[in-house]
Amino acid sequence: MAVTVRIPTPLRPLTGGKDEVSASGTTVLEVIEDVDKRHPGVRDRLLDGGKVRRFVNIFVGPEDIRFLDGPATVVKDGAELSILPAIAGGSAGH
Amino acid sequence: MAAPDGPILIVGAGGIGAPAALALGHAGVRRLCIVDDDRVELGNLHRQILFDEGDVGTDKLASLRRALVRRFPALEVALRPGRALPDTALELCEGAAVVIDATDNFASRFLLADAAHLVGVPIVHAAAVRWQATVLAVAAAGRPCYRCLFEDVPGGVLVDCATAGVAGPVCGVSGALAAERALDLCLGRAPGTILTYDGERDRLREVPVAPRRDCPLCGAQPTIGSLDAARYMPPACEASY
Repeated sequence: MAVTVRIPTPLRPLTGGKDEVSASGTTVLEVIEDVDKRHPGVRDRLLDGGKVRRFVNIFVGPEDIRFLDGPATVVKDGAELSILPAIAGGSAGH
Repeated sequence: MAAPDGPILIVGAGGIGAPAALALGHAGVRRLCIVDDDRVELGNLHRQILFDEGDVGTDKLASLRRALVRRFPALEVALRPGRALPDTALELCEGAAVVIDATDNFASRFLLADAAHLVGVPIVHAAAVRWQATVLAVAAAGRPCYRCLFEDVPGGVLVDCATAGVAGPVCGVSGALAAERALDLCLGRAPGTILTYDGERDRLREVPVAPRRDCPLCGAQPTIGSLDAARYMPPACEASY
Protein backbone atom coordinates (compact mmCIF):
# COMPACT_ATOMS: atom_id res chain seq x y z
CA MET A 1 0.00 0.00 0.00
CA ALA A 2 1.49 3.35 -1.02
CA VAL A 3 0.68 6.14 1.41
CA THR A 4 1.58 9.81 1.49
CA VAL A 5 2.74 11.06 4.88
CA ARG A 6 2.56 14.79 5.51
CA ILE A 7 5.39 15.88 7.75
CA PRO A 8 4.87 18.85 10.13
CA THR A 9 7.63 21.43 10.42
CA PRO A 10 9.00 20.16 13.77
CA LEU A 11 9.78 16.78 12.16
CA ARG A 12 11.24 18.06 8.92
CA PRO A 13 14.81 18.07 10.23
CA LEU A 14 14.42 14.28 10.28
CA THR A 15 13.18 14.10 6.68
CA GLY A 16 15.75 16.36 5.14
CA GLY A 17 13.28 19.22 5.01
CA LYS A 18 10.65 17.27 3.05
CA ASP A 19 7.08 18.19 3.88
CA GLU A 20 5.73 14.90 2.62
CA VAL A 21 7.20 11.47 2.05
CA SER A 22 5.90 8.29 0.49
CA ALA A 23 5.73 5.12 2.53
CA SER A 24 4.16 1.71 2.42
CA GLY A 25 2.23 -0.37 4.92
CA THR A 26 -1.22 -1.69 5.62
CA THR A 27 -1.58 -0.04 9.02
CA VAL A 28 -0.52 3.29 10.48
CA LEU A 29 2.15 1.52 12.53
CA GLU A 30 3.61 -0.15 9.47
CA VAL A 31 3.64 3.14 7.61
CA ILE A 32 5.43 4.90 10.47
CA GLU A 33 7.99 2.12 10.71
CA ASP A 34 8.57 2.31 6.98
CA VAL A 35 9.17 6.07 7.22
CA ASP A 36 11.50 5.45 10.15
CA LYS A 37 13.67 3.11 8.06
CA ARG A 38 14.57 5.98 5.76
CA HIS A 39 14.24 8.77 8.30
CA PRO A 40 15.40 7.39 11.63
CA GLY A 41 13.92 9.00 14.68
CA VAL A 42 10.44 9.61 13.30
CA ARG A 43 8.96 6.60 15.09
CA ASP A 44 10.23 7.70 18.51
CA ARG A 45 8.85 11.17 18.01
CA LEU A 46 5.39 9.80 17.29
CA LEU A 47 5.06 6.67 19.34
CA ASP A 48 5.71 5.72 22.94
CA GLY A 49 6.05 1.98 22.79
CA GLY A 50 3.04 0.98 20.76
CA LYS A 51 0.91 4.02 21.55
CA VAL A 52 0.71 7.43 19.91
CA ARG A 53 2.26 10.05 22.14
CA ARG A 54 -0.41 12.08 23.87
CA PHE A 55 0.73 15.42 22.43
CA VAL A 56 0.64 14.07 18.87
CA ASN A 57 -2.39 13.46 16.69
CA ILE A 58 -2.29 11.34 13.58
CA PHE A 59 -5.00 11.52 10.95
CA VAL A 60 -5.76 9.16 8.10
CA GLY A 61 -7.50 11.48 5.68
CA PRO A 62 -9.79 13.52 7.97
CA GLU A 63 -10.05 10.81 10.64
CA ASP A 64 -8.13 10.95 13.92
CA ILE A 65 -6.74 7.46 14.49
CA ARG A 66 -7.43 7.90 18.21
CA PHE A 67 -11.07 7.28 17.32
CA LEU A 68 -10.30 4.41 14.97
CA ASP A 69 -7.89 1.65 15.93
CA GLY A 70 -4.89 3.76 16.93
CA PRO A 71 -1.64 2.61 15.31
CA ALA A 72 -3.43 -0.53 14.15
CA THR A 73 -5.74 1.56 11.98
CA VAL A 74 -5.84 0.14 8.47
CA VAL A 75 -4.73 2.41 5.65
CA LYS A 76 -5.78 2.03 2.06
CA ASP A 77 -3.68 2.45 -1.01
CA GLY A 78 -3.35 6.14 -1.84
CA ALA A 79 -4.28 7.29 1.67
CA GLU A 80 -2.85 10.45 3.17
CA LEU A 81 -1.51 10.37 6.71
CA SER A 82 -1.18 13.70 8.53
CA ILE A 83 0.67 14.40 11.76
CA LEU A 84 -0.44 17.19 14.07
CA PRO A 85 1.80 17.81 17.08
CA ALA A 86 0.88 20.16 19.91
CA ILE A 87 2.80 23.43 19.67
CA ALA A 88 2.95 26.09 22.32
CA GLY A 89 4.72 29.19 21.05
CA GLY A 90 2.93 32.49 21.15
CA SER A 91 4.12 34.97 23.72
CA ALA A 92 7.76 34.88 24.69
CA GLY A 93 8.12 34.96 28.42
CA HIS A 94 4.51 34.23 29.22
CA MET B 1 -22.00 42.45 14.43
CA ALA B 2 -23.44 42.91 17.91
CA ALA B 3 -20.80 43.82 20.48
CA PRO B 4 -20.11 41.01 22.94
CA ASP B 5 -21.14 41.70 26.53
CA GLY B 6 -17.79 41.13 28.18
CA PRO B 7 -14.30 41.98 26.96
CA ILE B 8 -12.32 39.66 24.78
CA LEU B 9 -9.56 38.40 27.07
CA ILE B 10 -6.17 37.99 25.42
CA VAL B 11 -3.68 36.05 27.53
CA GLY B 12 -0.21 36.82 26.18
CA ALA B 13 0.65 40.13 24.53
CA GLY B 14 3.32 38.70 22.26
CA GLY B 15 3.62 37.46 18.72
CA ILE B 16 0.05 36.17 18.54
CA GLY B 17 -1.69 38.38 21.09
CA ALA B 18 -0.57 41.62 19.46
CA PRO B 19 -1.76 40.87 15.91
CA ALA B 20 -4.96 39.36 17.34
CA ALA B 21 -5.61 42.60 19.23
CA LEU B 22 -4.93 44.61 16.10
CA ALA B 23 -7.34 42.51 14.05
CA LEU B 24 -10.03 42.76 16.72
CA GLY B 25 -9.58 46.53 16.89
CA HIS B 26 -10.06 46.77 13.15
CA ALA B 27 -13.13 44.54 13.44
CA GLY B 28 -14.76 47.05 15.74
CA VAL B 29 -14.51 45.19 19.02
CA ARG B 30 -15.03 47.66 21.84
CA ARG B 31 -13.42 45.99 24.85
CA LEU B 32 -10.24 44.01 25.30
CA CYS B 33 -8.57 42.79 28.46
CA ILE B 34 -4.94 41.78 28.04
CA VAL B 35 -2.78 39.72 30.40
CA ASP B 36 1.01 39.68 30.34
CA ASP B 37 4.00 40.12 32.65
CA ASP B 38 6.78 40.83 30.21
CA ARG B 39 8.79 43.71 28.82
CA VAL B 40 9.44 44.44 25.17
CA GLU B 41 12.74 43.07 23.88
CA LEU B 42 14.54 43.87 20.66
CA GLY B 43 14.18 40.25 19.55
CA ASN B 44 10.38 40.54 19.80
CA LEU B 45 9.98 43.21 17.17
CA HIS B 46 9.93 41.01 14.07
CA ARG B 47 6.70 39.39 15.22
CA GLN B 48 5.19 41.66 17.85
CA ILE B 49 4.15 44.18 15.28
CA LEU B 50 2.63 46.87 17.45
CA PHE B 51 5.96 47.60 19.13
CA ASP B 52 8.93 49.50 17.76
CA GLU B 53 12.48 50.17 18.89
CA GLY B 54 11.31 52.98 21.14
CA ASP B 55 9.31 50.45 23.16
CA VAL B 56 12.26 48.17 23.94
CA GLY B 57 12.58 47.78 27.69
CA THR B 58 9.12 49.13 28.41
CA ASP B 59 6.22 47.28 29.96
CA LYS B 60 4.59 45.27 27.20
CA LEU B 61 1.04 45.85 28.37
CA ALA B 62 1.37 49.62 28.60
CA SER B 63 3.06 49.84 25.20
CA LEU B 64 0.43 47.63 23.62
CA ARG B 65 -2.43 49.66 25.02
CA ARG B 66 -0.77 52.85 23.80
CA ALA B 67 -0.41 51.41 20.30
CA LEU B 68 -3.99 50.15 20.21
CA VAL B 69 -5.64 53.29 21.54
CA ARG B 70 -3.67 55.41 19.08
CA ARG B 71 -5.28 53.42 16.27
CA PHE B 72 -8.69 52.85 17.87
CA PRO B 73 -9.55 55.72 20.24
CA ALA B 74 -12.89 54.18 21.20
CA LEU B 75 -11.34 50.85 22.14
CA GLU B 76 -11.35 50.14 25.86
CA VAL B 77 -8.21 48.19 26.82
CA ALA B 78 -8.03 46.85 30.35
CA LEU B 79 -4.65 45.57 31.51
CA ARG B 80 -3.97 42.68 33.87
CA PRO B 81 -0.25 42.56 34.70
CA GLY B 82 0.92 39.06 35.59
CA ARG B 83 0.32 35.56 34.37
CA ALA B 84 -2.65 33.27 34.31
CA LEU B 85 -2.03 30.95 37.24
CA PRO B 86 -4.11 28.27 38.92
CA ASP B 87 -5.24 30.74 41.58
CA THR B 88 -6.10 33.53 39.13
CA ALA B 89 -7.24 31.86 35.91
CA LEU B 90 -10.89 31.38 36.85
CA GLU B 91 -11.29 34.98 37.88
CA LEU B 92 -9.52 36.16 34.71
CA CYS B 93 -11.79 34.15 32.45
CA GLU B 94 -15.03 34.84 34.31
CA GLY B 95 -17.15 37.35 32.43
CA ALA B 96 -15.06 37.38 29.27
CA ALA B 97 -16.90 37.15 25.96
CA VAL B 98 -14.11 34.95 24.63
CA VAL B 99 -10.64 34.02 25.84
CA ILE B 100 -7.75 34.04 23.37
CA ASP B 101 -4.96 31.79 24.59
CA ALA B 102 -1.82 33.33 23.09
CA THR B 103 0.59 31.92 25.63
CA ASP B 104 3.88 30.18 24.93
CA ASN B 105 3.81 27.11 27.15
CA PHE B 106 1.67 24.03 27.56
CA ALA B 107 0.96 24.49 31.24
CA SER B 108 -0.74 27.82 30.54
CA ARG B 109 -2.63 26.36 27.59
CA PHE B 110 -4.10 23.49 29.60
CA LEU B 111 -4.79 25.81 32.53
CA LEU B 112 -6.73 28.23 30.34
CA ALA B 113 -8.58 25.38 28.62
CA ASP B 114 -9.72 24.12 32.00
CA ALA B 115 -10.52 27.56 33.41
CA ALA B 116 -12.55 28.66 30.39
CA HIS B 117 -14.49 25.40 30.40
CA LEU B 118 -15.22 25.58 34.12
CA VAL B 119 -16.59 29.13 33.93
CA GLY B 120 -18.41 28.46 30.66
CA VAL B 121 -16.54 30.89 28.43
CA PRO B 122 -15.50 30.09 24.85
CA ILE B 123 -11.79 29.98 24.11
CA VAL B 124 -9.45 30.11 21.12
CA HIS B 125 -6.08 28.41 21.47
CA ALA B 126 -3.58 29.91 19.03
CA ALA B 127 0.03 28.79 18.74
CA ALA B 128 2.97 29.24 16.41
CA VAL B 129 6.48 27.89 16.25
CA ARG B 130 8.99 27.92 13.41
CA TRP B 131 6.79 27.92 10.28
CA GLN B 132 3.72 26.26 11.75
CA ALA B 133 0.63 27.71 13.40
CA THR B 134 -2.44 26.05 14.86
CA VAL B 135 -5.73 27.59 15.97
CA LEU B 136 -8.49 25.72 17.81
CA ALA B 137 -11.79 27.37 18.78
CA VAL B 138 -13.89 25.83 21.56
CA ALA B 139 -17.45 26.92 22.35
CA ALA B 140 -18.56 27.82 25.88
CA ALA B 141 -18.20 24.61 27.92
CA GLY B 142 -18.15 22.99 24.52
CA ARG B 143 -16.75 20.00 22.79
CA PRO B 144 -14.27 19.12 21.38
CA CYS B 145 -11.89 20.90 23.73
CA TYR B 146 -8.11 21.30 23.87
CA ARG B 147 -7.85 18.20 26.06
CA CYS B 148 -9.79 16.14 23.52
CA LEU B 149 -6.94 16.80 21.13
CA PHE B 150 -3.79 16.96 23.26
CA GLU B 151 -4.87 15.20 26.48
CA ASP B 152 -2.44 16.57 29.07
CA VAL B 153 0.63 18.68 29.72
CA PRO B 154 3.52 17.04 27.87
CA GLY B 155 6.90 16.55 29.45
CA GLY B 156 10.35 16.44 27.89
CA VAL B 157 11.86 19.20 25.82
CA LEU B 158 9.27 20.59 23.50
CA VAL B 159 9.90 23.35 21.05
CA ASP B 160 8.66 26.86 21.63
CA CYS B 161 9.44 30.26 20.15
CA ALA B 162 12.27 30.83 22.59
CA THR B 163 14.07 27.60 21.74
CA ALA B 164 13.12 26.99 18.12
CA GLY B 165 12.31 30.46 16.86
CA VAL B 166 9.28 31.47 14.88
CA ALA B 167 8.75 33.26 11.60
CA GLY B 168 7.15 36.62 12.29
CA PRO B 169 4.51 36.39 9.55
CA VAL B 170 3.42 32.98 10.87
CA CYS B 171 2.63 34.62 14.19
CA GLY B 172 0.66 37.25 12.31
CA VAL B 173 -1.38 34.59 10.54
CA SER B 174 -2.01 32.79 13.82
CA GLY B 175 -3.11 36.02 15.50
CA ALA B 176 -5.41 36.97 12.63
CA LEU B 177 -6.97 33.51 12.57
CA ALA B 178 -7.41 33.63 16.34
CA ALA B 179 -9.23 36.94 16.03
CA GLU B 180 -11.44 35.58 13.29
CA ARG B 181 -12.29 32.50 15.33
CA ALA B 182 -12.96 34.66 18.40
CA LEU B 183 -15.47 36.68 16.40
CA ASP B 184 -17.01 33.43 15.18
CA LEU B 185 -17.44 32.33 18.78
CA CYS B 186 -19.06 35.67 19.64
CA LEU B 187 -21.59 34.86 16.93
CA GLY B 188 -22.16 31.38 18.34
CA ARG B 189 -20.20 29.58 15.66
CA ALA B 190 -17.76 26.86 16.73
CA PRO B 191 -16.81 24.70 13.80
CA GLY B 192 -15.16 21.85 15.75
CA THR B 193 -12.04 22.00 13.65
CA ILE B 194 -8.42 22.95 14.13
CA LEU B 195 -6.77 25.25 11.62
CA THR B 196 -3.17 24.50 10.72
CA TYR B 197 -0.99 26.84 8.73
CA ASP B 198 2.30 25.79 7.15
CA GLY B 199 4.25 28.94 6.40
CA GLU B 200 6.94 27.08 4.48
CA ARG B 201 4.43 25.81 1.94
CA ASP B 202 1.71 28.45 2.40
CA ARG B 203 -0.88 25.81 3.17
CA LEU B 204 -3.89 26.44 5.35
CA ARG B 205 -5.81 23.33 6.35
CA GLU B 206 -8.92 22.84 8.44
CA VAL B 207 -8.90 19.49 10.21
CA PRO B 208 -12.01 18.07 11.93
CA VAL B 209 -11.57 17.32 15.62
CA ALA B 210 -13.73 14.74 17.33
CA PRO B 211 -14.76 15.01 20.99
CA ARG B 212 -13.10 12.38 23.13
CA ARG B 213 -15.64 10.37 25.11
CA ASP B 214 -13.32 9.92 28.08
CA CYS B 215 -12.00 13.50 28.03
CA PRO B 216 -11.43 14.49 31.67
CA LEU B 217 -12.67 18.02 30.97
CA CYS B 218 -15.63 17.73 28.61
CA GLY B 219 -16.28 13.98 28.48
CA ALA B 220 -19.20 11.99 29.82
CA GLN B 221 -17.66 11.72 33.29
CA PRO B 222 -15.40 14.72 33.74
CA THR B 223 -12.82 14.60 36.51
CA ILE B 224 -11.54 18.16 36.29
CA GLY B 225 -13.72 20.34 38.46
CA SER B 226 -11.15 22.77 39.82
CA LEU B 227 -7.69 24.13 39.01
CA ASP B 228 -5.23 22.04 40.98
CA ALA B 229 -1.71 23.44 40.45
CA ALA B 230 -0.20 19.95 40.40
CA ARG B 231 -2.18 19.17 37.26
CA TYR B 232 -0.19 21.70 35.28
CA MET B 233 3.22 20.32 36.13
CA PRO B 234 4.74 18.38 33.23
CA PRO B 235 5.60 14.73 33.87
CA ALA B 236 9.23 14.18 34.73
CA CYS B 237 10.04 11.94 31.82
CA GLU B 238 8.74 12.06 28.30
CA ALA B 239 10.49 12.10 24.97
CA SER B 240 11.52 15.35 23.39
CA TYR B 241 9.66 16.67 20.41
